[in-house]
Amino acid sequence: MTGIIKGAAGRRMHMRSSLMRESLMDKTVMAASDKHAVIAMLPDVNIVSIGGCSIMDRGKNAIVPLLDEVVRCRREHQIVLGVGLGARLRHTYHICLDLGIPTGGMAMVAGAVGEQNRYMVQALLAKHGGVVLHKDHFVVLPLWLEAGLIPLMTGMPPYHYWEPPSGNQRVPMYREDFGMFMVSETLGARSMIFVKDEDGLHTADPKTDPSGKLIPSGTAQELLDMNLPDLIIERVVLESMLYARNTRRIQIINGLKPGLLARALAGEPVGTVITTDKPRAEGTSDADALPKGSRS
Amino acid sequence: MTDVAVGAGVAIPQRRKVETPFGSGSLDHKDLLAGTDYVQPIRVLPDVNIIKIGGQSIMDRGRAGLFPLVDEIGACARNHQMMIGAGGGTRARHAYAIGLELGLPTGVLAAIGASTALQNARILQMLLAKHGGIYINPEDFEKLPQFLRAGAIPIVPGMPPYRHWEKPPSLGRIPANRTDSGVYLTAEFLGARSCIYVKDEEGLFTDDPKKNPKAEFIPRITAQELFDRDLNDLVVERIVLTNMMKASHVREIQIINGLVPGNLTRALAGEHVGTIVTAPQTE
Repeated sequence: MTGIIKGAAGRRMHMRSSLMRESLMDKTVMAASDKHAVIAMLPDVNIVSIGGCSIMDRGKNAIVPLLDEVVRCRREHQIVLGVGLGARLRHTYHICLDLGIPTGGMAMVAGAVGEQNRYMVQALLAKHGGVVLHKDHFVVLPLWLEAGLIPLMTGMPPYHYWEPPSGNQRVPMYREDFGMFMVSETLGARSMIFVKDEDGLHTADPKTDPSGKLIPSGTAQELLDMNLPDLIIERVVLESMLYARNTRRIQIINGLKPGLLARALAGEPVGTVITTDKPRAEGTSDADALPKGSRS
Repeated sequence: MTDVAVGAGVAIPQRRKVETPFGSGSLDHKDLLAGTDYVQPIRVLPDVNIIKIGGQSIMDRGRAGLFPLVDEIGACARNHQMMIGAGGGTRARHAYAIGLELGLPTGVLAAIGASTALQNARILQMLLAKHGGIYINPEDFEKLPQFLRAGAIPIVPGMPPYRHWEKPPSLGRIPANRTDSGVYLTAEFLGARSCIYVKDEEGLFTDDPKKNPKAEFIPRITAQELFDRDLNDLVVERIVLTNMMKASHVREIQIINGLVPGNLTRALAGEHVGTIVTAPQTE
């Protein structure tokens, strides 16, 4: 596949490849890039995301039993933990919005809240092999998992100043749920489990609307089509799932109820199970290019 | 650690909240900011101009394409604050082609593609050093005021730092956010004065003019019109147009031909020398 294609002086120099001279914006070229199936890099690892507001902000009586369960489950399953942010993130955004900090700046300063929670969880899990996984240390994960450790990370994706603008919503769209979903998708994980403080996804927030009913299962497209005013999981996770190659099933469970994590890891459909059945390699629409409500 | 039974029969530990004017729902709730009166975002560096140097279009031409442009950038930097983002080019395509064949996920392809833009940023730094070109990492963004006041030209790889977190695109597997996107988002975050893409065509055409001689030049168009036309090919990454329509500051970009001497100077002076894409505020 090698070979330098030299034109006359001042012409573009190419390297022979199937994408040589091609525009990567050409839809024919883009579609053709899906010829080969995607590998699963770490097919045995389970990604478990611990909610910020839902678990961390409830303090010891919520965090400690859950981490005990993580330690028990680690005997049978490889686990990478993600840690959410919570109330201090909301306060950070409030102060930033009041000051007119742009969206990318908000994403940049938000990460420190995740690090606080990550330090807390690492301190509790240290004696059980809890180690901090920095986002540019992915390549050491196989070693750590083989050693029986519990790598843990902040959920936020490393978008920082490059956080895309979110229009009138102003706050970053890509947060801890999306970050851990992408860890699962890129690694080709065995499961992606979001631990929150409700039994799953409801038709309305059960904390403020008692008529909200649990939705035990559904596809990402169905849930997006319901156009619910609010979701227990970040909307971009459902949108990204439509095009996921590896993570086509996610689960949301109640971490305040003992035993549910173990059951979810055993494959039981506790909580809400969201799937996507769109056949891979069939992206003909261009949702990336034109999301709903993209004009502000 | 002790096991504490929580749930049936035991009080559920309460969330400890910090009061904010946000609604009670999630941060995605469409009424999150209803009833709040936050100001518009500030422009962090309103005088800086963000210039993207194309990979395949400029870098891969070697000396003949780059040397005149480097001198022009040096001259422009005497009158304007400038920051450069480097594209990838043919080596990125070579790496993507092998990575795709190996079945690597999009996130890994994004991590791999970033390395070519990094090479080009370092090459540009060596060429621009005599004019004040400095290579900076994302961690150095906080020092940009110092660099720009000193008359330096900060140079960054164009790729955004998404790496393994680059989401699967709706069509194909090649990362949707590449160097055009990263450079645009840099400009939008900084609230830059302008965002100029230096490529090897006059601007945007109805098709790839290198392959289709009937392709027509488009001097000026809105992002929405571009989506409506649903062109098979574009000279700029589609995600840039999406982001422009949601942006607070950078609602206009210009794509110029960097092989024509003087084009960059004129574009920086506010002249229309290539294709201008706008995203007018509709409200």
